[in-house]
Formats: sequence, structure tokens, C-alpha cells
Amino acid sequence: MTSAAISVRHLTKDFRVGLRGLKLRAVDDLTLEVPRGQVYGLLGPNGCGKSTTLKIILGLVTATAGEISILGQTYATAEARRRTGFLPEAPYFHKFLSGRELVRYCARLSGVAPTQLDQAVEEALTLTAMTEAAGRPIGTYSKGMLQRIGLAQAIVHDPELVILDEPTAGVDPVGSVAIGRMIQEMRSRGKTIVLCSHLLGQVEQVCDRVAIMDRGKLVLEGRVEEVLSRRDRHVITVESLTPAARAAAEAALAAHGAKVTSVTHPRRSLEDLFQELVKGSRDA
Amino acid sequence: MRSLYFGILTAVFWVLAGTYSEISWRTVRPCIPEIGRRDIEPTLGQGVLLGILGGMRTVIADGTWVRSYVLWERKDRPGCETLMRTACALDPRSRYFWENTGYVMGYDMAHWEVRRRGGYAKVPADVQEHLYRSYARRALEVLDQGVVNTGGNAALLIAAGQLAEMKLKDQLLSARYYRSATESRNAPWYAPYFCARNLWEAGQREESYRWYRKIWEEKLSKSEDGAPDDLKNLREMEQALHLPIIQRIPRPAWEK
Amino acid sequence: MKAFMQRTTWITWVTFLEAIRQRFFAFLIVLGGAMVLSSVAFRFMDFGHGELKFVADFGFGGMFLFGSVLGVVMTAQLFFSEIDNRTALTLLAKPVSRAEFLLGKFFGTWLVLAIFVFVLSGLLGAVLWSRSIELNELAEKMGRLAPEFSPGGLVAFALLQWLRLGVVIAIVLTIASGARTFLYAVVVGALAVVAGQLQWIAQDVLLKPEGSVWYRGVLWVTSRLLPNLEQFNIGDALVLDPTSVPANAVVQVAISGLIYMVAFLMLGTALFRRREI
Repeated sequence: MTSAAISVRHLTKDFRVGLRGLKLRAVDDLTLEVPRGQVYGLLGPNGCGKSTTLKIILGLVTATAGEISILGQTYATAEARRRTGFLPEAPYFHKFLSGRELVRYCARLSGVAPTQLDQAVEEALTLTAMTEAAGRPIGTYSKGMLQRIGLAQAIVHDPELVILDEPTAGVDPVGSVAIGRMIQEMRSRGKTIVLCSHLLGQVEQVCDRVAIMDRGKLVLEGRVEEVLSRRDRHVITVESLTPAARAAAEAALAAHGAKVTSVTHPRRSLEDLFQELVKGSRDA
Repeated sequence: MRSLYFGILTAVFWVLAGTYSEISWRTVRPCIPEIGRRDIEPTLGQGVLLGILGGMRTVIADGTWVRSYVLWERKDRPGCETLMRTACALDPRSRYFWENTGYVMGYDMAHWEVRRRGGYAKVPADVQEHLYRSYARRALEVLDQGVVNTGGNAALLIAAGQLAEMKLKDQLLSARYYRSATESRNAPWYAPYFCARNLWEAGQREESYRWYRKIWEEKLSKSEDGAPDDLKNLREMEQALHLPIIQRIPRPAWEK
Repeated sequence: MKAFMQRTTWITWVTFLEAIRQRFFAFLIVLGGAMVLSSVAFRFMDFGHGELKFVADFGFGGMFLFGSVLGVVMTAQLFFSEIDNRTALTLLAKPVSRAEFLLGKFFGTWLVLAIFVFVLSGLLGAVLWSRSIELNELAEKMGRLAPEFSPGGLVAFALLQWLRLGVVIAIVLTIASGARTFLYAVVVGALAVVAGQLQWIAQDVLLKPEGSVWYRGVLWVTSRLLPNLEQFNIGDALVLDPTSVPANAVVQVAISGLIYMVAFLMLGTALFRRREI
């Protein structure tokens, strides 16, 4: 049994389009591994093949070539899918069901035992902060609530692997942060999470590893710190820097062969500022 | 491999489904009225398709019949005939449609045709006769179909007998229809007499008397009143045939 | 097997809840009901068939027509709403097989059509029963033969209609499983139902021993590709002349319908397995 939660080798997917059946390559010779117990970010612009890759992993779309392995199984067997949770992009659920009914329905389909059903449903609703709104029909939910109830249905059966396709798409920053916290909470419980997003700030905050795809190909893969850090550059943060002190510091550095290339004021991220100013979630 | 087994099983079910439906169709076929497929072809685009498909056959047949009346009033022979035949085809167990289609074709349509050609004063008598005979033959075809579809309805046989007698002037043919009417369920009381009279007038006088007498002795005499009118007819025949007393029908107690 | 049944039952239940809420269903059941009830008012149009036959024909026609429309459109709509709204994506990413999904859709829709058929049959039965009482009294006064009405025959007919609609749903699901659009599924599904309704013509010819081997071969294939839907239309005989129906007719037609349903659903599953969601 491989230690990776998901292993993809030389995966290729072609779609036939139009009457003449022209080939459109959505995924091109993709190879990657998602280690267990980590949050794995799959990044890339729209149409780069992220969602197609996830669908192939889940057995919803067949691969043209290549191999996949999911939780030790050579394809997405019912057993592998029972141990996996999936939140699709822009999820849509039956509007006439209440949030609790939906989560219950999904729990039954995922094989949760009737004796554990109530507890599993309530735990999933609590983790996603949907307990209060769970009795309302889904048709009345905001976009953020839809994403959260989608997350609840994905984790209600306590899966080992959770695949989230654009979980924060269309959600405001407060909701995004809440979802980010949920992801971290799931990681702390030992789950493997695959996060497919193009919100780079969030991915940077929550992911352990990232893979970047473009036009169906993998262009970069590695640990977040490794990928983002520039080893030939350093940042020193100084308080009360006078012009005289700056000149002295530059001279001292020059004496050791180092060169100051820029001096700027540190910035907060807009997201941090927004979080500081907006207290509490509007749609909790 | 699993897909192959599944494919084979699916194919087996398909063949089984088709084969079994032949068996079940044979069983239910007599319960479903036959549709005269050729008769409905000209009217398929006029709402009749639904009737063929299985729903509201009676209602659509009735609607078609009402529309045929409109054309009857306009003396539109082709339109009227098409719609009437369609009504018959849609609801072939209805005596009413067959009987009235036969009457309209046998009596009215020949008359319309004569008028269309300039009227009785202009159309020579032999042409008129030819028209009446040809329309009567077509009407008899319709009535024959009706007899088959309604399980030998007596009213249709009587209508055919009348047409054969009055328009075709074929009394032997007419007698054959009246004889069938006599043998059918719910035969009217006058059917045996009509049959015997036509046979008699066609020259088969002994045959006519023998058959009429047999029917009277086996069926009519056992009716509540003993069918005195038929006995009277038979006595007239005996006299005309100069039958000796011993060969005549023994006198019942109630005969005057 | 137990898990298979449980998952299918859950999908059936949610499909049923979705279908029963549709305005289209409410509209057609009200229209069908109005048609059955109004049949008494139209009986003056009858030409010597007997009033009960006319009323029954009106009711059977409503059930046939609106039931077929409902069977074709609702099945395609419920299937494509899952595909187009991507709820199928959520479901099929769970340990739910394609067969379970398709069977859930089938039974959910079939359950709704059971309500449609049995409500209309109940209404029709009430109308026929009340009219038959009046006509019997009248016939007694006039010394005529009273018209016959068999409530048991009506129940048998309702069951056969429900089975016929089950075959229709199975046909449409099979077509939808391989179709790209809702419109295509509806149009081809409707054509298949019409062809099935006329298949008896091929079967009638096949049952007669004339014709070349090639011709008979084509007919043999045709009558296996398309189900004979006309065999379910024995309502007149069952309800108004039950003695004319052979004892094993209903059972044989029911078995035939069930075999067709299984055959179509198996083909539908095979097609749906190949479909990319």
C-alpha cells in the first residue's frame, strides 16, 4: 500500500469536441502525489485541468491514459469513495431539502450506520457552523452557507480524504477565513485535504504543499515554504530607523560584501486589515 | 469481464422481452378491437393518430363522425366517406358507424353523384342504374367488414340485405344476408320472412318454403305466440305450391 | 445487497420528493381529473356505444395521454436536473453506483406516476360506479339489459397502465443516459413511445406466416428493439366486458412489462456507466 493518499502517474485526458471530434487535451501527462495528513493545494487558472483531474481521481470521468491510486486502491472503487469526501465547485443541492436533511441523506448514501447517524450529522453541522441554519430549506441559503453545508455533506461520514473544489468561490473574506479554519481543523484531526483553488492568499495560509497547473501540465510542485522563499534575498525589520542609522547599516553591510537593494515599510495584507475591521461573520 | 457478462445478460433480457411479448400479445389480441390501418391513412393528420396510439378511441371516433356529418350536409362525397370509414376503423365494434356508413354510401352517395352529373333529367337511366349498383357494392363491402368486426350483428345483415334487394336488385344475395341475420343473435322477427320472400321471388320457391318451414318449426313456433303471421305466410306458400294436405304443416290448435 | 437497496431507496425518496413538488405534475393531474369528471357532461356526443364505454374511454384516454407526457417529460427533467445542476457529481462521488442512481431515478418517478394513475383511476371508478347505478335502475324500469361495470377490472387496468408507464420511464431513462441534452431525450423518448405504441402492427404482421424471410427477420428485430405498448390498452374489455378477457391476460401482460423494464434499465445502466459526469 502506498503512503500517498492520492497518486497520479502520467495522467492524460482528451475531450472530443464538435462534430468532427477534435481533440482537446485537458490534462497532459500529469504526475503528482498527495501525502497523507497534509493539506495539498492544487492551483492554476480557470480551465487548466484542476477539476478534470479531481473528477478522474473520483471516477466521474475516465482517463485517456495514465494511472491513479486513491487511498491505496487502483481506481475510485466504492470503498475508496466511502473513505473520501467531495465538495464540488459551486455546489447545488435540492432546494426543497433542509440543510440537516441533505447532510442526513448524504450520510446514509455514504454508509453511516443508523445508530451513529444523528451524532455524525450534528458533528458535521457543528464543525461547519451550520447548526442554527440546518432546519431551513437550502433554497434560502446564501452562497457562503451553501459552501458550508456542502462541506458538511462532504465530511459527515468522517472520511480520510477530503477533496474541496473551489470551496471559497463566491464567498466573502469572512466566510473564506471560516472555511480556512475548518480546513485547518480537519488537518488537525489527521485528514488529508486536497484544496483546489485560485485564491492564492488562502492556499498559502492553509496548505502544506502546492502544485501549480497550467494548460493541463504540472509546472511547479513542492512545500509551500520551499516554493515561495527566495534563498538569495533577506528581510530585516527595523524600528526607529533614522537616516544616519540607515547609512551606517548600509556601510557595515557593504563592508561584508552585502548590498541593500530596497528599503520599504512592511505592509499588512488587505485580508488582515479587513479581518481586523470587520468583527464577526455576517452570515454565521 | 464484468462488463461482458453484464452485456450478455442485457442481450438475453432483450430477446426474452421481445419473445415473451409475442406470447402476451397473442393472449390479449382478441380483447383489442382491430384498426383498419388503410382506412385511417388519409386522416392521420387530423387528430386521429392519438386514437390509434391507444387513447380515447371512442371519443375520437365520435368526433370524426360528427365532422363527417358536416361534410354529409355539404354532400362532399370523398370527405364524408373518408371520415366515416375512419370512424369505423377507429371504433370497429360500433354497429352504429358501420350501419350508417353503409346507408350513406349505398343510398345518399349515388344520389349525390347523379346530381353532380346534372340531375335525374340529364343522366340516362342506365347510367343511374350503374351508379346505384356500384355504390351499393361499395356499401356492401363496408357492411361486410362491419359484420366481421361486430361478430355478425343482425342489424348490419338486415341493412346489407335491404341494399342487395333494393339497389343491386339481387334477391338471392339479399336472401343470403337475411338468412345470416336469422341465424345471428338478436335476429329481428321479420328476418326469416324477408329471406323466404326473396328466395321465393328469385324463383327458388320450394327451397324458400322448405327453409321457412324448418325455421318456423324449430324456432318460431316455439315463441310465445307461435308466430301466427309466419304460419299464415307459409300457408299461402303451401297453396301456391299446391302441396297435398299430408305434406303441409299440421294444423296447430290455435290456428284459425 | 442490503446497502444497494438502502441507497437506491434513499435516492428514490429524494427523487419522489422533487417530482411531487413539480407544478407540471400538479397541472397534469388536475387536467386529467377534470377530464375524467367532465366526461359525463360530454356523453351526449356518444353514438350508440353505451354511456359507460364513452365515459371509460374518456378516462382511459386522459390517463394514456397525460400519463405518457408526464412519463417522458418528467423522467428526462429529473435526470437532467441532476446532471445539469451537478447534484449527480456530489452523489456519484459517494459510494453510489451508476445503477443505484438510475434505479433511484426510475423508482422515484414511477412512484409519482403511481399517484397519477391511481388518483385518476379512483376518480374514474367513482364516475363509472355512480353512472352504472343510475343506468342499472333505468335498464330495470325499461326491461333492458343492464350495462356491466367491473371495479376489479378497473384496478387491473390501473395496474397495467402503471406498468406501461414504468416501461415508458425505463425507455426515457435509457435514452437520457446516452443523451447530451434534455430536449434530445424528450424528443427521442416521445418518438420511442409512439413507435412502441405502434409496434403491434409489426407484431401482427410477424404473427402471420406470410412474407419473405428477410422481411420477417426485420420485423423480428423491430419487435425486439421496441416494446409492444398497445398490449396494455385492454381497459375497455377489463372494465366493461371482463368475461371477454382471458384469465391469464393481465398476468402475461404484466410479466411482459416487467421484463421490458428490466431490459431497458440494464441497457440504461450500461450506457450511464460510460457517461462522463
